[in-house]
Amino acid sequence: MTDKKIFGVTALFNEPNAIISAARKVADAGFTKWDVNSPYPIHGIDKAMKMKPSKLGIVTLIFGLSGAVLALILMYWTMSVDYPMIIGGKPYFSLPAFIPVTFEVTVIMATLSTVVAMFAFFFGLPRNSHALHDTDYMKKVSRDHYGIVIEAIDPKFDEMATLQLLKDLKPITTEIIYHPEKENYPIFEPRFIALLVGVAVVVSIGTYLMLNKLVYIVPFDWMEKQAKVIPQSGSEFFADGRGMRLPVKGTVAKGFIPYPFEGETNPKEVLSNPYFPTKENLELGQRKYLTYCSPCHGNYGDGDSRLAGQFPNPPTLHSDRGRNFSDGMIYHIITVGQNVMPSYASQVTRDERWAIVNYIRALQRAKNATDADLKLVKAE
Amino acid sequence: MSTDYSVEAPVVAGRLTIAQIEELVAKPMDTKPDKKFYLALTISGSALLIGAVCLLYTFYYGIGMWGNNQPVGWGFGIVNFVFWVGIGHAGTLISAILFLLRQKWRTGIARFAEAMTIFAVMCAGIFPIIHTGRPWLAGYLTPYPNQHGLWVNFTSPLVWDVFAVSVYFTVSLVFWYTGLIPDFATLRDRTTSKIKKTIYSIFSLGWRHSSRHWLHYEKAYVILAGFATPLVLSVHTIVSFDFAVSIMPGWHTTIFPPYFVAGAIFSGFAMVVTVLVFVRKIFDLQNIITIDHLEKMNKVILATGMMVGYAYSMEFFIAWYSGVQFEQFAFLNRMLGPYAWAYWTMVSCNVIFPQFFWFKKIRRSIPAMIVIVLFVNVGMWFERFVIVVTSLHRDFLPSSWGMFTPTLYDFGILLGSFGLFFTLVILFTKALPVVSIAEVKAVADGAQPTHHRGEHHD
Amino acid sequence: MHNNEFKYQRKDLPSSISKIGMTLLVVGIVLGVAAFFVDHTRAVYNYLIAFTFMISIGVGALFLISLEYIVGADWSVPIRRVVEFFAAIIPLLALLVIPLLLNVGELFHWSHADAVAEDKFLTGKAPYLNVTFFIIRVFVLIGLWSLFYFFFIRNSKKQDTTKDQKLTTINIRLSAIFIPVFAITLTIAAVDWLMSIEPHWFSTIIGVYFFAGTVIAALAAVTLATVLLKENGYLHPAMTNDHLYSLGALLFAFVNFWGYIAFSQYMLIWYADLPEETFWFMQKWEGSWAIFSIGLIIIKFLVPYIVLVSQPAKMDPKKLKFISVWLLFAHLYDLFWFVMPEMEELSGGYSFSWIDLVFPIAAVGLIILVFNMKAKKDNLIPIGDPKLQRGLDFHL
Repeated sequence: MTDKKIFGVTALFNEPNAIISAARKVADAGFTKWDVNSPYPIHGIDKAMKMKPSKLGIVTLIFGLSGAVLALILMYWTMSVDYPMIIGGKPYFSLPAFIPVTFEVTVIMATLSTVVAMFAFFFGLPRNSHALHDTDYMKKVSRDHYGIVIEAIDPKFDEMATLQLLKDLKPITTEIIYHPEKENYPIFEPRFIALLVGVAVVVSIGTYLMLNKLVYIVPFDWMEKQAKVIPQSGSEFFADGRGMRLPVKGTVAKGFIPYPFEGETNPKEVLSNPYFPTKENLELGQRKYLTYCSPCHGNYGDGDSRLAGQFPNPPTLHSDRGRNFSDGMIYHIITVGQNVMPSYASQVTRDERWAIVNYIRALQRAKNATDADLKLVKAE
Repeated sequence: MSTDYSVEAPVVAGRLTIAQIEELVAKPMDTKPDKKFYLALTISGSALLIGAVCLLYTFYYGIGMWGNNQPVGWGFGIVNFVFWVGIGHAGTLISAILFLLRQKWRTGIARFAEAMTIFAVMCAGIFPIIHTGRPWLAGYLTPYPNQHGLWVNFTSPLVWDVFAVSVYFTVSLVFWYTGLIPDFATLRDRTTSKIKKTIYSIFSLGWRHSSRHWLHYEKAYVILAGFATPLVLSVHTIVSFDFAVSIMPGWHTTIFPPYFVAGAIFSGFAMVVTVLVFVRKIFDLQNIITIDHLEKMNKVILATGMMVGYAYSMEFFIAWYSGVQFEQFAFLNRMLGPYAWAYWTMVSCNVIFPQFFWFKKIRRSIPAMIVIVLFVNVGMWFERFVIVVTSLHRDFLPSSWGMFTPTLYDFGILLGSFGLFFTLVILFTKALPVVSIAEVKAVADGAQPTHHRGEHHD
Repeated sequence: MHNNEFKYQRKDLPSSISKIGMTLLVVGIVLGVAAFFVDHTRAVYNYLIAFTFMISIGVGALFLISLEYIVGADWSVPIRRVVEFFAAIIPLLALLVIPLLLNVGELFHWSHADAVAEDKFLTGKAPYLNVTFFIIRVFVLIGLWSLFYFFFIRNSKKQDTTKDQKLTTINIRLSAIFIPVFAITLTIAAVDWLMSIEPHWFSTIIGVYFFAGTVIAALAAVTLATVLLKENGYLHPAMTNDHLYSLGALLFAFVNFWGYIAFSQYMLIWYADLPEETFWFMQKWEGSWAIFSIGLIIIKFLVPYIVLVSQPAKMDPKKLKFISVWLLFAHLYDLFWFVMPEMEELSGGYSFSWIDLVFPIAAVGLIILVFNMKAKKDNLIPIGDPKLQRGLDFHL
């Protein structure tokens, strides 16, 4: 019995007035490591025990404010910066519409932080291994008694004197509490470790299945998988096995006029550029050139695109031959194609083709600029 | 009629001692459930099952199983959602607002009402998710950096709903659990069963009833109540925004936020009274949940019923006063159109029947109050039905008018939500203390020191 | 139980109070009359603001009294007389309204028959918005308020001598009837006096909006008077700062409530963006009115919120004195923001005039004088109220 370590001494009362006056006396005696236990909060015990008001509000304030700020930043960033969209004619950053979410995030941050901070940091819970647990004292104060406990770690603690002090308060009983000889909940118990390992394995397998299998399961897919032709895929319905069908021969797409010079090699005599290279026209030409021509011919017509080396190299547009082509010839090549180059008639409209021609002319002139041209540019 | 106003009426009747209170509340957990319990569970479980089957059909064949159509795209799904969120509001009102107003009578009913909040919000949360048709994709409702590079639309009231309802559920749960911790500790210290003791120990977190803890605990309770109060207002306000930010006649009206909140409290209190009347009888809690408490709740029902009535008449008056013909038509159509029966059911259940609570005798008569609160429950469900259906079915263009007819599946799912709610309530009564032991002990006779009250005298 | 029974000695308020009240009132009236000659329309608009402010103080106080009875509050019993004295302004409203009724034409566009005939919306509203019905409503409202005021006060005063508990019961029942009446009458007042200045605009929440401001104003007045009286020893010595806490907490709650209602109204109109509603807020965004609109959020919500949010602040007499004066000003400011942009000359932006200052001065002077007069006649503490001791024992 001698190696039992003392935790503290306790006294029990069964009347709220008695506990208040007892607490006042213990507080006056100058103890610091002591406590009053009661089944519910007793009015006025904080003053009797000389406790300072709770500082919990600071946690709430800090986390509540940061919740508000974070929510606003998130909404600002997603709605005005990362993916701005006009919705209902409202500005990207519509403060009134952001108030509800800001408020909710503030509330959740403030309340959760308060509760977690209180239990985990203010109280040091969960803790089921405290010496007071499973004592008669605890069972009584859990029900309808009020108790005082003075802990042995208090600098003023002296087993006999402190016990006497408590006895002088006229409690119904006093008790000396010892630390349990062996830990109630030892961490290195095999069963506990087995439990931890088991939980870890189950969680890992669960997470793996969830992320790699479960999220890809479509519960009911018959609306998605219907008997219909899916673009770019085959079909057994047609003899040639192709899902996508070619238009009937002689079909003319809306807005397109059939090109009369197909098969000819040089229709330059009849084709002349109907557009002046105005700013708008050149900009249109640039857009279309960058979309349709640049993948092979390069952004500046040098034939240096990323396709170089994979096919017969796309030629530069700045060769003498290219520069000597008439506008009509370039137009013709875009329309019907040349060598490996396919026809672009279905992607680029007539007007756009002429705009591309103008743009190519501008590129060619820029590559071979004369002094007079440079002066003009500098003058601007 | 001789009330003595100079003394406070006791909160706990029958002069129960602190230990007796504990025995009374802990009894259902110490005894094995009887036949009646299983009978009740069977009934509610069957309702739940019917709902589950109807829901499975809906998932398999799609929302086309419901009565929703063009122009009534929001049918029972939204009606039930608003109804259940409303039911939830009473719990937070009792646990937070009445706490801040220092109404001690709340202690006896707070735990139960909070539990009902949580269960009701669970029922409510199901509806918008199943209404999407593909509930397994509900994850996209949360703003996370997904593979599409898309974010949720934070200016949409439907996204506010996601935030409001999930925050409301979480905070209610935390509030409820915080209140339960001291009770878990009490149960831990009184039980003799080893399994129960382990469970209670885990959930009590090792609470020691320490006064140094109580100090912070009470502060935290005030803070939580302080946040829960505007939160509960915000939740139904945001639900009302779902309707009111639109330009639909009968939906777009500025009184919607406070009107919805009042209606929510109204329906919630009615549901709490409905359930409590039986619970106090079955578990012998007449001394803790006294007839005085029920009377006070009935007074709140009367008051909020009149607030709802005020909102009905204000809407009606301003619809006329505005001179906007669509608004005027919307309200005339409610009263005289094809859904007039629903409108008049709503008015009579919500405004007329609660007027009986002006009489003290009726407020204190259990059978009378059961009848009236049931009417209120029905009336508040119809209020949401009237708002959703009558506004949508005839809006601006007569060419786009239509009618809404609910299907069996609609009713099945509604029944299922009641089944879920009552199943959870019934399980709760056996699993956890239905009354907060610590809080009721604190307001019992002689629980508090006498000389605190008159500190200035010594 | 209570050995040292408190013997109440009636004390008159210092004569300086009546001097201050009288000075403010006289200065206000002289300048006010002058204002009517200088700029008639502006004077009428300002008079309306002062008038609705007095409605707020008087009827708001009456509401606080009935609230105490209906919820069975005990902490407020020791200060109920303070509230009652503020309600004493109610019967005077019948006189104060007369200058407004003489100038209905200046204030209300709908009172002109030719304007109504041209405008189909006004024609539609004519069954409600017409001068005869308007005047009938005004006197019915003031009559109802005065009636309830009279009964409440009579019972409360009678209890001082008879100590009859039945009087409390009667007043509780009276409150139960008064509160619905109050809701309807205050809404009518808000629609008639505030909303119909711009007869095309409509908002269903207007009654609740005015209610929130009204309660803030009445509570602020009560808080200010309570703190001042308590500091100078006119109230029961057993009253503690815990009583002030209740007032501070209520103020805080209603500041939040006002913010909630004001936000809801703005938000819904802003979001739906219907021209028949938004034009009213656009008027309040014209020119310098934009500054007033932003100022409203700061003055009536942000500042009081920040001052009152902490628990100790709600029971600190100094802070409460400051914030109740601030909130009284804020309510005036709110009414000013609500009413003045509707004046045609000010529709493009605000320009200062001394006329805007004089009517609140007169109103404050009048309220002080009436308060002082009642304090001379009646006990400052309801000594016969059965709940008085409970109220004094109140602790957090």
